[in-house]
Amino acid sequence: MSNENMTEPEVNETQAASALDGFEPAETADTSAQSDDMLDFDDDPLSATGVSRKSLVIFFLIDTSGSMKGKKMGELNTVMEELIPEIRRVGEADTEVKVAVLTFSTEVRWMYSTPIAIEDFEWARLRASGVTSMGAAFKELNQRMSRNSFLNSPSLSFAPVIFLMTDGYPSDDYKEGLRELQANSWYKFGLKAALGIGQEANDNILAEFTGSKDTVVHAYSGGQLAQMIKIIAVTSSQIGSKSMTLSDDTSHELGEEDVFAAKQKLLGQQIQDLVSSQTDGSDVPFDTGW
Amino acid sequence: MFNGFSHSVMGASHEKTGLVCQDSSAYKIGEGYAIAVVADGHGSKKHFRSHLGSKFAVEATIEAIDRFYEEREELEKNLPTNAKLIIKNIEKQIISNWNIKVEKHLSENPVRDEEKEKFTDEEFEAIPPESYYGTTLVAAVSGDNYTFGLQIGDGSLVAIFEDCKAVMPMEYNESAPANVTASMCNSNAASMFSSFYAPNKRLIAMYGSTDGLYTSFGSEYDFLDYHSIITSQLVNLESFKKVIINNLTKRSHYGTEDDISLSCVYNEDLLNEKIGDLKAQVEENKRQAALRKEELLRKRVT
Repeated sequence: MSNENMTEPEVNETQAASALDGFEPAETADTSAQSDDMLDFDDDPLSATGVSRKSLVIFFLIDTSGSMKGKKMGELNTVMEELIPEIRRVGEADTEVKVAVLTFSTEVRWMYSTPIAIEDFEWARLRASGVTSMGAAFKELNQRMSRNSFLNSPSLSFAPVIFLMTDGYPSDDYKEGLRELQANSWYKFGLKAALGIGQEANDNILAEFTGSKDTVVHAYSGGQLAQMIKIIAVTSSQIGSKSMTLSDDTSHELGEEDVFAAKQKLLGQQIQDLVSSQTDGSDVPFDTGW
Repeated sequence: MFNGFSHSVMGASHEKTGLVCQDSSAYKIGEGYAIAVVADGHGSKKHFRSHLGSKFAVEATIEAIDRFYEEREELEKNLPTNAKLIIKNIEKQIISNWNIKVEKHLSENPVRDEEKEKFTDEEFEAIPPESYYGTTLVAAVSGDNYTFGLQIGDGSLVAIFEDCKAVMPMEYNESAPANVTASMCNSNAASMFSSFYAPNKRLIAMYGSTDGLYTSFGSEYDFLDYHSIITSQLVNLESFKKVIINNLTKRSHYGTEDDISLSCVYNEDLLNEKIGDLKAQVEENKRQAALRKEELLRKRVT
């Protein structure tokens, strides 16, 4: 007996037609609910393994050295707690956002043992003490940014967002750590942004990390810190999760390098636009009384 | 006695952009053997005929394997001692068949002006003609007590042997460069295949899938558990097929929006014999998944 079966591809007729727009989040809430009803069976045993949307990991690298003590760390903890619901909203459309937080002082530590889905993520309030082992943090990040480690989810679709926050000069050899990190493909194609906190933070070092001055901002007060963290985290995760795989003129896919370059440029532009419109002059600077 | 099914669904992203489905899939039940095969056309600019390339890859594979099984006794006698060489020869035959199909199609259907207009003359001249049809390929073959498979480019192969555990048996070819997607259209395609041979094991079910399926899962555990669940339902294939197709459609819609193909062959007798163990494995998988989730959220470090 011989039985050969060639399958003709089926068009998904339940998919509502929508215009291509790589820069606007799709508004799918209503149609999704409708399609779910159409596609789900009450007794579908396959629903036990959920469908994962395209996923994105946001890495926060946070300086928890002694100089961050007091107002800076207090403000940072508060704004990060407030930020989580805002990032959740970024992912609501069609991206699953995961968060990984690496703190560095004398030691480097992950807040969770693996990236956590934003829906499950709870901020653990951080305390500041010790020195600024930024180079060690870069090395740790390099080790974890791998398909064999933190980036092992099959649904991972976007290069990560990497957001560095620090208030001072590294106390270890950050250049050696950065050299290792710069050889990592996830770092190369990731969206990188940095926030210098207070007078002591060195914007040149931060620009070395991000690869561009446009993606480095500075906060000199608690109010600015809250604004800048939100601007960078929300903007970078919005841009990071865009499907920029298509070019407008050819309807064909862009190369990885083109997507990376377009996203990094867009991030720099949007951060600078937002920052220039948000400065609050009445705020009390961090360095007053420090 | 083998049975099987295969299905391809078009991804939401391809619908949005007016691209046709780039995937192809098929299965074949032969005398004493069964083949599952899927292929995923690259779909990017220079691979503008890759939906045809994937179809040719599926056809080329079945034809090549059928040819080797024309002398099944001889093949099965030599497999235990010469599996690597035999699989390598099958791979070469598949590439040869595919290139013949591509050349024939191209000679009968020269590149049209509208296909060329996306390129400058210089760009177009730089593309090797076989690249127009670039595609991946995943194929697997099972006999009475052995299974082997081969793969070039992305995609997955999952097997469930008589211990009822879902595994990915492919031994990946480390020499294939990590930053280049291996493809049937590469000039050195023959050296870019990965393969496996599993002797002296009875197979319950085997699945080839294009990467749109894998990427619709949050973890590899879930991906493997999915195949265990399907296998536990194959005794009612006719009624369950609709559920599978709907689930693949849902995954292509809500997952990574890529085309998805799944091809399966299974041994009906062994499936019936092991159905109790398969259902128990599905329950155990659910228990393990719950434990993993609990562990993930507990391990907080501050």
